[in-house]
Amino acid sequence: MSPRIPDTHAEAWALLPWLANGRIAPEDREWVDAHLQGCAECRAELAAQRMVASHVTSDEANSPPPASSDEQKSFNKLWARIEAAESASKTATGTTGAPVPVPRSSRTVRWLAAAVVVQALGLGILGMTLRENSTDSNMRTVTTEPTQRLNAPAVRLVFAPGASIETINTLLAHQGLSIVAGPGAAGNFTAELSVDAVASGASAESVALVLKKDPHVSLAEPVAQ
Amino acid sequence: MPLQSVETQNSRALASPTTDASDRELLERIARQRDQKAFRSLYGNYYQRLSRLLGRMSVRREDIEEVINDTFWVVWTKAGEFRGASQLSTWIIGIAYRRALNALRRAKLRPVSDQPFDEDSVSVGSSEEEETNQQWLSLGLERLPVEQRMALELTYTLGHSCEEVAAILDCPVNTVKTRLFRARETLKQVLPVLAGMSGEKS
Repeated sequence: MSPRIPDTHAEAWALLPWLANGRIAPEDREWVDAHLQGCAECRAELAAQRMVASHVTSDEANSPPPASSDEQKSFNKLWARIEAAESASKTATGTTGAPVPVPRSSRTVRWLAAAVVVQALGLGILGMTLRENSTDSNMRTVTTEPTQRLNAPAVRLVFAPGASIETINTLLAHQGLSIVAGPGAAGNFTAELSVDAVASGASAESVALVLKKDPHVSLAEPVAQ
Repeated sequence: MPLQSVETQNSRALASPTTDASDRELLERIARQRDQKAFRSLYGNYYQRLSRLLGRMSVRREDIEEVINDTFWVVWTKAGEFRGASQLSTWIIGIAYRRALNALRRAKLRPVSDQPFDEDSVSVGSSEEEETNQQWLSLGLERLPVEQRMALELTYTLGHSCEEVAAILDCPVNTVKTRLFRARETLKQVLPVLAGMSGEKS
């Protein structure tokens, strides 16, 4: 089959940008080149388009590239978003549809919780019995902070000692979190998820999972509502 | 790919079959193994090019990162669905283009071509004719509607063929030719030397 040979001025004119950038189709190159031999107008237009191409590429080459640190920061944000979404997806899969057996870890937590209650009762009785005057009523732990009314899924956080304010702000922003309480006696904060973060599938559990892996976070756990 | 080699890519590397083939290997690792390193490399291979391209589409600086990350969010989630009917770069830049149009709509930016043309900003009295031409050309490019500008940038900055530009912009090949034809005419009005070069009749 012989290729179509348009050899018209208008069609050659339309293809000149790709002759200028070297990406014209081989089957077109032959007849466009032939047309150029006899068409000074197209030759001049090709020169003009080469000038435009040269300007555009040199302008592009001279513009300062984005800093590599910007690239890494951007990627970190994207990766945190992917991890949060995949954690949320796993969580959602585990809480919908057919009943899911209670994981071993949850049963363990329940037993431990029961043991703690028994232990606390025992200690209380012991304390009353001894009638100690030096009770340390001000001592609080991370998990015994007074509960407050929460408006959205929230996580309890303790940041690593070296974490800067900027780092903490970035971490919170990436996860769509805002501090609503803290610091507590143990340096703990409570942070709520934004409406947008919840709408995009994030949950207290998924965000806590992501933050636990961050070296700037010592503790991250969902707050029961 | 190490960052250093990303920075030394030539301006047309994204449109080259060799780069596309190695990027497709990265995509396969992402699709099959959910390989974070491969994903990071692919991200690095496109970050600078997309940053510059989006900046030239007048996407606001604060929106550029969001457009790139939205694009690569799609790459991560749809990696297994890419069938290779087009070049990988065509697929990725096409996603970025559509996300950028959404960002421009959200920002309610007026088309750049509607903005008044500030002739005072061009130093016409400059003794450096070449520099003056460059300034006029830059201003002319800024006046182009985003679709024409994108067709021109994809052709000259990234070195895509007409068919590839059509695939990226999701329009017929003839539409690409028409957009570039109009862009060329606009630039000639701005920069007399271009009109002079093609004013010669056969």
